[in-house]
Amino acid sequence: MAKPPVRKPKKKSNPLKSAGVEKVDYKDVTVLRKFISDRGKIRARRVTGVSVQQQREIAKAVKNAREMALLPYSSSAR
Amino acid sequence: MRHYELMVILDPDLEERTVAPSLDKFLNVVRKADGTVENVNIWGRRKLAYEIKKKTEGIYAVVDMTTEPAVAKELDRQLNLNEAVLRTKLVRPGAR
Repeated sequence: MAKPPVRKPKKKSNPLKSAGVEKVDYKDVTVLRKFISDRGKIRARRVTGVSVQQQREIAKAVKNAREMALLPYSSSAR
Repeated sequence: MRHYELMVILDPDLEERTVAPSLDKFLNVVRKADGTVENVNIWGRRKLAYEIKKKTEGIYAVVDMTTEPAVAKELDRQLNLNEAVLRTKLVRPGAR
């Protein structure tokens, strides 16, 4: 009987969010920078570890910030 | 009456000190319609993340106001007609 490899349920990285700001604002570029990759893509929820609702807020804020040229749509950083 | 937040990106070729008065002229639309302008925050010159109308910089300004939806929309429309305005964004902060 081969035991299925026991995977640890992976430590829950606490939502960086709740430690910082309460409301996600598209003007707050320094906060939003943490949720995008070097190339300017929005980081997935499994990476950021925030709640579904928060992720949605973040995504919306990033998109708003992009429209106002506060964040890049894409950066060819490679 | 609703609370709005309006962000405007202005042409960087403008003199920075003329920004406040000229922006104020636009905001008269709000005041005439019984709205209130709570705060005008001029961020100043800031680098754009990408070029808009071949400009790499812009003068950012954020306006907080309380007004009727139709008036806010009209203000946004008038701003966009102006050549010196690169971009605007009108949001309702509390709204979902």
